Amino acid sequence: MEKLSDFYEAALDTEKYIRNLKVKGKRIMGYMCSYTPEEIILAAGIHPLRLFSTKGTISLADAHLQAYSCSLARGVLEDALAGRLDFLDGAVFPHTCDTIQRLSDIWRLNTRFAFFADVVLPVKLDTESARQYMEDVLRKFKGDLEVGMDVRITDAALKQSIDTYNRIRSSLNTIYELRSANPDILTGSDLYAIVKGSMIMDREYLAKRLPEVIEMFKERTPSTDTEKKRIILTGSICDQPDIYTVFEKAGGVVVWDDLCTGSRYFEGLVGTGGDPIASIANRYIERPVCPAKHTSNTARGERLLEAVRKHNAQGVVFLLMKFCDPHDFDYPYLKEFLDRDNIPSMLLQIEDPLQSEGQLLTRFETFIHML
Amino acid sequence: MITAGIDIGSITAKAVVLSDDRMLGSKVAFSGYNAQQAGKGIFDDLLKELEMDASSIEKIVSTGYGRNSVTFADKAITEIICHGAGAYYLNPEVRTVIDVGGQDSKVLTIHSNGTVKDFAMNDKCAAGTGRFLEVMARAMESDLDDFGPLSLRSGSPSKISSICTVFAESEVISLIAKGESRENIIAGIHESVASRISSMARRVGVKEPVMMTGGVARNIGVVRALERALGVSIEVSEFAQVNGALGAAVMAVNL
Repeated sequence: MEKLSDFYEAALDTEKYIRNLKVKGKRIMGYMCSYTPEEIILAAGIHPLRLFSTKGTISLADAHLQAYSCSLARGVLEDALAGRLDFLDGAVFPHTCDTIQRLSDIWRLNTRFAFFADVVLPVKLDTESARQYMEDVLRKFKGDLEVGMDVRITDAALKQSIDTYNRIRSSLNTIYELRSANPDILTGSDLYAIVKGSMIMDREYLAKRLPEVIEMFKERTPSTDTEKKRIILTGSICDQPDIYTVFEKAGGVVVWDDLCTGSRYFEGLVGTGGDPIASIANRYIERPVCPAKHTSNTARGERLLEAVRKHNAQGVVFLLMKFCDPHDFDYPYLKEFLDRDNIPSMLLQIEDPLQSEGQLLTRFETFIHML
Repeated sequence: MITAGIDIGSITAKAVVLSDDRMLGSKVAFSGYNAQQAGKGIFDDLLKELEMDASSIEKIVSTGYGRNSVTFADKAITEIICHGAGAYYLNPEVRTVIDVGGQDSKVLTIHSNGTVKDFAMNDKCAAGTGRFLEVMARAMESDLDDFGPLSLRSGSPSKISSICTVFAESEVISLIAKGESRENIIAGIHESVASRISSMARRVGVKEPVMMTGGVARNIGVVRALERALGVSIEVSEFAQVNGALGAAVMAVNL
């Protein structure tokens, strides 16, 4: 943990980390979800910051968002309304789920940040027109950013930004692969701190720092304890380090995930030849989808099965945010995929803050016992 | 082989002593504030009743929400696994177990070898649990033990639509104020509990035969309401309340 203190500090006290960056003159752009074209923001010389739910109680946001909106949307709005995000120069809302789209309107009407953008991405990504549409949307976003933030985004800057992101993403992928091969070389909470930190910390720093982390993990000797049950997490986001700890207490270990704050964030690299915007658009077209986007009727199910096989997992845990309807709608179909192949799974609905550890432990222990 | 199972639930603690295939005895007491004391207390009391010495018990498994506080147990196993094992011990044909306890309700399906196949558990909310019934008994100024027989006399159960325990309690108070009969209100309360539990059961998929366990299984009104909601008949053993402890004692045999 000490050796990863930079990641832990950023993940656990994001506000402090970002205020320090701000003092150094960085402009900060908040964003929701991994469909935000971060490369373009970084190429504008602006720091992209993924927004997570509040650590406090939700009260101000309740005047705008119903209690049946997810705690991520409500929690982010709470921090904005309470002035805890006053370091932001703006925020970006990609069109993914309905709640993010509505949050975007509420945000625009009730906050006073200098910059605001909706990135109206296509939903069906497997059509002829989607690629061109995606590219056009990203070009418009680049233009909006240039005008709104008074910057010029050159192709050279875009290419450099793409290179930085490719390095970060492949490093995260390597860390996941290392952990899948030897789960004991780092704890679940270490992994959480690294992944969350990577959406918060200075990207140039990360591109250099993550390879050092990889070297450190490679030097660790794997344990011979093979008793632990190998689990894959699937769902939207996991901003709950305790989940990993409770899992480990119950005798399991998370060896891979299909999360927006996990593999969906880092899988797929941007091509380095040709037009940079077209290359970024291409990654989004090719990248594994979340349930708010569509490629084929079987893409998500097949991908989950492939991850189970590749990482030799014994079970799958659906970690769904309460009231996250895109994921809820996909659950029965994904569960059918797993049932057909006799892969045990369990559904856990979570919300910020996490429910009592006792209940979680009972569920996890039972599930691990079943495997 | 003599084994013991100790189940520390949110409201009551249960203990069972098992000698091979024979249940030597069981006991139920309030858990109280200290789960550790509850476990030790009920175990000692049961041994005293059975005139046995702790040294004659070869293996002990603890279960229930306070399972990790039973320091003298050889192993702690979740109540979901233990309720499956207990139901299987009582009737190996059982494929679905509905366990409704003080603060949790669970539905589990079991394989033909008695191991758990799938399960669902209520989270956060007390609707569909023993605690919900306790709150209602207080509002009705009735003894919870009378709830079952009283509800069977109802001609037309009241409709209680709130899921939230607190809101449901105010609905009940309104019904009392309107002069609705005690029998109808209680039957309505049971239907509300049954509706919570049956929707959870459908998510797991109900396979017959079905057994209900846990303290709430002692309430015949809830059992009948659940049978109607699910369209199946439900078996309740005389050991329903100690079924978790019984399952723990069964699990202890194979430690």
